[in-house]
Amino acid sequence: MNRPLYIAKRLLLGVPVLLFGLTLTFLILYLGPIDPVLAILGKDATPTAARNLEISLGIRYPNGSLVPLWVQYKNFLVNMVTFDFGTSWAIARDQPVAAMIVGRLPATIWLGFWSVLVALFVGIPVGLYAGLNSNSWSDYAASFGGIVWRAMPNFWLAVMLSGLLTAGGVLDGYGDFLIKTDVVGTSNALQHLFSGIDPFAGVPVLEFFWIPVPNLGPMAEAFKWILPAALVLGSSSMGNEVRIGRTAVLESLRSEYVDTAKAKGVSPRRIIVKHIGRNAVIPLLPVIMGEFYLLIGGSVLVEKVFSINGIGNLFIRAAFNSDIPVMMSLVFIFILMQILFNLLQDVLYTYIDPRITLSDTTE
Amino acid sequence: MAANTTHADDTRDTTRRSTDGLWTRIRTNPQPALRWGVVAAVLVVLELGALTGGILTLVDALVMGVTGLIDVIVGLVSPALAGRVVDVQLALSTFIEGVRSTAQSLPTLLSRDVIPNQGYNDPSTVRSFLGLSYNAWTGPFLGLSPAAAWAIRMALTLAYSLFTFYWLYRGWLTFRTHYRRAGWTPRDDMVNRLRNHSWGKFGIVVLVLFLTMSLFGTTLAPSTVQQNITASYGNEVQYVSDDTGAVETIPVGEANFNSKSKGNPAQNVGVMTYDDYGRFHPFGTLPNGRDLFTYMMGGAETTLMVTGIAIGMAGFIAALLALVSSYYGGTVDLSVLTLADGIVSIPQLLLLIMVSVVFQDHWLKSVFNGGLLLALVFGLTTWPVLWRSLRGPALQVAEEEWVDAAKSFGQQPTVTMRKHMLPYVLGYLLIYASMTVGGIVIAMASLSFLGNGLGITPPTPAWGRAISQGQPYVSSASWHIALIPGLIIVVLVTGANALGDGIRDAIDPESEGGSEEEAAATGGGA
Repeated sequence: MNRPLYIAKRLLLGVPVLLFGLTLTFLILYLGPIDPVLAILGKDATPTAARNLEISLGIRYPNGSLVPLWVQYKNFLVNMVTFDFGTSWAIARDQPVAAMIVGRLPATIWLGFWSVLVALFVGIPVGLYAGLNSNSWSDYAASFGGIVWRAMPNFWLAVMLSGLLTAGGVLDGYGDFLIKTDVVGTSNALQHLFSGIDPFAGVPVLEFFWIPVPNLGPMAEAFKWILPAALVLGSSSMGNEVRIGRTAVLESLRSEYVDTAKAKGVSPRRIIVKHIGRNAVIPLLPVIMGEFYLLIGGSVLVEKVFSINGIGNLFIRAAFNSDIPVMMSLVFIFILMQILFNLLQDVLYTYIDPRITLSDTTE
Repeated sequence: MAANTTHADDTRDTTRRSTDGLWTRIRTNPQPALRWGVVAAVLVVLELGALTGGILTLVDALVMGVTGLIDVIVGLVSPALAGRVVDVQLALSTFIEGVRSTAQSLPTLLSRDVIPNQGYNDPSTVRSFLGLSYNAWTGPFLGLSPAAAWAIRMALTLAYSLFTFYWLYRGWLTFRTHYRRAGWTPRDDMVNRLRNHSWGKFGIVVLVLFLTMSLFGTTLAPSTVQQNITASYGNEVQYVSDDTGAVETIPVGEANFNSKSKGNPAQNVGVMTYDDYGRFHPFGTLPNGRDLFTYMMGGAETTLMVTGIAIGMAGFIAALLALVSSYYGGTVDLSVLTLADGIVSIPQLLLLIMVSVVFQDHWLKSVFNGGLLLALVFGLTTWPVLWRSLRGPALQVAEEEWVDAAKSFGQQPTVTMRKHMLPYVLGYLLIYASMTVGGIVIAMASLSFLGNGLGITPPTPAWGRAISQGQPYVSSASWHIALIPGLIIVVLVTGANALGDGIRDAIDPESEGGSEEEAAATGGGA
């Protein structure tokens, strides 16, 4: 099977999954015991106001009769799929949900990006190192550290770290170290990352290719600001990467091609980089991609503790205020991202390991 | 195998040919059974009250789980009828609660009554022991200090429960060497491998300790949940007043109010310290003055109930669907796959938050302080993860020749699945279930951490809520509030993962850690 066909098939298989996820969301939020009128207007709403609200929410027709459930379901599906997310009920009344999400997306993407990267930069080298020095004390320390690090609840780690880094904590100096940043709260640096002073000044080649160059000052500031949260969010993946990287190295060390390379007199450094390293990365790929799944759930808690104004925090606020349109839209986006990332993982697999065929990977 | 069964061989040879039951086999060679039974009987008699109480707690959880499931199914058809089911459920639960309080009056050696730890220190009271006279406390065991009395009771209880667990294992070993009809089964090898797996044994010890904490928490803690937390104004403690020097009585709630841990050294009751009322706090107090150790024991009970019901339910659904989908394959398999993918596509934590918010004022939330709702949601969202892990082994066994043979002579599909496929799948279920437990514990704690009606309803103790209460005090004198509950969660989750590793190495020594189950252990990123 060629690649475009494979991708098309995988996308097609994603449709029932998306439909099912959306239906479940609809069932919970629409058939569940939440009363939207009560959620928006509170207990002492006049009947006329309630009636008008129901009409504007699409629960009741203007002539007074109730909209049948299947029509609501159909409208819901059509709205979601056409990215028409409606307006917020409670957090910011009548604000378009799409704008609320787009405004908060950069913080979450920034957090997710660095949590993946920090975990990779720490987890993989430690794992490879432990595998290359197997059964030494440093290996035991790394493996055990990885196991315990993985078992730590993200929200607890976030609480501890934010407590240590802020006033009175052992690492209180962090906020003023090199560049002044807030540890808990939102950084303005993120907004200036790609705006502000002419971003393309002085880099003619990049300007030619229209690659946006981030401003280095805000970039460093934004990095330092997100680092503690990213460390927490990446913790479980980091632990997994240590563990699986170690196993993978041990397995490739035992393989015959490493023996052959040694016999041919290939330098140890080259063996590690070319032969062991590359093969050890293959089993790590699902871990790295699987991290995305953890990021969504984790970002809710980590953003809450570190007061980062991202979409995870938005979801919590929407949930606490019964703001159904916001919750629904976010869940839809998450399901969509999940399906796309699964697809991306399978396609990436075929590039990294040519031995894997495109035919039968429906799992 | 021959080496370690020498002296039992002749007895077994005679029994193996006969069709006698276990009882006859024990009568032929009563000595080993007797030796085991005497010690077991002593163990039971020592703790009759507590054991009955513990078993009743489990029965209570089981009744709650089963009736809860019926609730949900009936609730889909008619909410009014479901309300009736809740009444039955609550009546049953109250009945069990009544039996449990009667059980508590049965003689128990390691109980709060036999080794009390609460009391006051009147300087005028002097006792002598072996010729040494000392200033004794009034109330605690032997007039010792509350700390010492508590430590003795806790150490004895832990030792008792670890030994009892070991003795149960010894019982199985006795059965295996002396009374089992088969000389050897594959399961023997698995147990032997697990016995030599120190990482797996660490997991077992952690789980036994956790079970002790949740079932015998009342004995372990310096106070009880009822006295210290839920009904603190209905109970009183005696103390020696600093002002008057006389013994005075104060409601526990008021004593708690003056024992708060609020961060500044002047207002803090830290780890292993006494408060002003002669009460010992091994883990210090919470910001509202309640005893953190007692709170943790109460939280362990809630955690055990929710996790137990959830993992039981998820495991049952996953095993059933794995058998059915691998036996029939084709469309059945594909539809289960779509269902599982659809459930997994919604991030578990978001789904949990969503359901908790929607059901906030629902009657389900009132059952079991919100624990039942949590358990149901965990059960219904965790099975796809387990099913995915079981599907591989189930497909493998479905292709075996013996399954084919069973099909070809017309055996019922259910019988084939139960007899020829289930035993193989069950081992894998154990691995993945124990790895998933950690995720459920973490996710449950994170919901209680978020609060606002999510998670367990206050004032019932929940581990996550303790962390949330301690959040402002992480780097102050009251650091213990957030630190200790987190560490306990870390140890429990590590232990559950270790047990999973141990079982995997025991069942399938060739395998190395995969990636899917690793992700399951993190509770959807919580």
